[in-house]
Amino acid sequence: MSDDYLWDRSGKPEPDVEHLEQLLGRFRHRRPAPEFAEVVPESSGARRRRVLRLFLPWPRLIFATAAVAAVAAGVWYVARMGHGRAQPEQGWAVTNLEGAPRIGKEAIAQSGRIAVGESLVTDQSSRARIQVSNIGEVVIEPNSRVRLLETGTNKEGLALDRGGLHARINALPWQFYVDTPSATAVDLGCEYSLTVDDAGAGLLRVTFGWVQFYAGDRQALIPAGAAARTRPGLGPGTPYFEDVSPEFRSALDELDFGHSGPEARAAALNLVLSQARKKDVLSLFPLLIHVPKSERGRVYERLAKLVAPPRGVTKGGILRRDSRQINLWWDQWGLEHPKK
Amino acid sequence: MGRSSLLSEKPAAHIDAGSDAGLVTAAQRGDGSAFGRLYDRFAPMVHGIMLSRVSAADADDLVHDVFLTALRQLRSLRNASAFGGWLAQIARNRARDYYRRGPQKDEVQLPDALPGAGAESASAEAEAHAALRIIQELPEAYRETLLLRLVEGMTGPEIASRTGLASGSVRVNLHRGMKLLHERLSQKERP
Repeated sequence: MSDDYLWDRSGKPEPDVEHLEQLLGRFRHRRPAPEFAEVVPESSGARRRRVLRLFLPWPRLIFATAAVAAVAAGVWYVARMGHGRAQPEQGWAVTNLEGAPRIGKEAIAQSGRIAVGESLVTDQSSRARIQVSNIGEVVIEPNSRVRLLETGTNKEGLALDRGGLHARINALPWQFYVDTPSATAVDLGCEYSLTVDDAGAGLLRVTFGWVQFYAGDRQALIPAGAAARTRPGLGPGTPYFEDVSPEFRSALDELDFGHSGPEARAAALNLVLSQARKKDVLSLFPLLIHVPKSERGRVYERLAKLVAPPRGVTKGGILRRDSRQINLWWDQWGLEHPKK
Repeated sequence: MGRSSLLSEKPAAHIDAGSDAGLVTAAQRGDGSAFGRLYDRFAPMVHGIMLSRVSAADADDLVHDVFLTALRQLRSLRNASAFGGWLAQIARNRARDYYRRGPQKDEVQLPDALPGAGAESASAEAEAHAALRIIQELPEAYRETLLLRLVEGMTGPEIASRTGLASGSVRVNLHRGMKLLHERLSQKERP
């Protein structure tokens, strides 16, 4: 074959390929490396600022969410005050639920403690429970690896490198978070499961309350009964209620992460819009923000049939992605919806 | 070094500082120059990915954006040897977001047909733009691989190594893409 030149430039050069190389070489990247600032390890303070920055794009939504969660969590929190506090600077207590989980290289017999910077690893037959200071607990499923990132009076952080966990947290919003390779889950007073595969892709499923799932400027607000996937380099996809059809779920995957081309994307959008029920506005609102302008009008029309836009919300404003109008419309749907 | 040492986490001293993974690890520890070397090695890949999706006029700026994003998120990368695939995905994502956000720079106006052979030297620029546009209209997997090969000058094995794609896939995409490109170029040249 004369394909070797195309593959690795070995063998006799193919005239057509050579001509194209010469012709297109003018577009080659030639810009030298800019000065890159030092990659400063992220401090807990920086993380807090990063988390707070997330809430700027949708301030009303976030603070309304926080208010609901804070009322519930606050009652519980005050009630707990009389029971004294754990000493967070000493790490978290770990209980062996099954098998032989390890903290670092040390196997846990019945119980132990994990300190900041240490990892907890379970094999295929091990499970462990972590007591997260005095705000809740996290069960680490088999074949998992987690690391304690920080613990203190205002912030508790865990990294899930792979495997799965189930968190049940009763705290003020934003006090507990879990980092994964592709997104961060921030607790808003909730219970949820989180899994991460070896490629860093994840799935977050909420069973109580709300969870904020974010990476960069992509974020998903996920209520009880809903879930969202996440992919490395992309972050969280569109949240969806778990009782949607498999086709609906696949179509969201195509819209969020697909590379199958415009026809597949158009088919996916058609399916999502045609199957969306009233409560699936949970998925349509994020789509409204993330789809290209050419698709936004169709999402608007479907959304408007499911939840009438309130006064002050116009199609033009939504197509411009006016954040005030989007928030106003979201408020119309109401945060209390998942409790109905 | 014994077998057990190789299976455990490598201490810093045992990471090859010149390898991609070594540079990633050094950059994660705060070494800005290591990240600069990663830029030198991977910028052509990012540029090729961008060029397969956006105009040539915008590709350079977006390459810079991609590396800034990577710099901000570098500490979230758990597997240093997966840097290339991770960076490629950031680039594809950035290109997709690019079309979702606001107006873009005007595309260069390109001729509809390739010029004849007699005008070759005078219109090489236009011919290049026309060929680029034809490649940009090919299916995604083909155009990305072809541009990395024909524009950035990477070989097939280098493309596979940098992007994290399987060698077999890259080879198939190169051959099928080139066949399709020949067909489209022939169609353009017909009067």
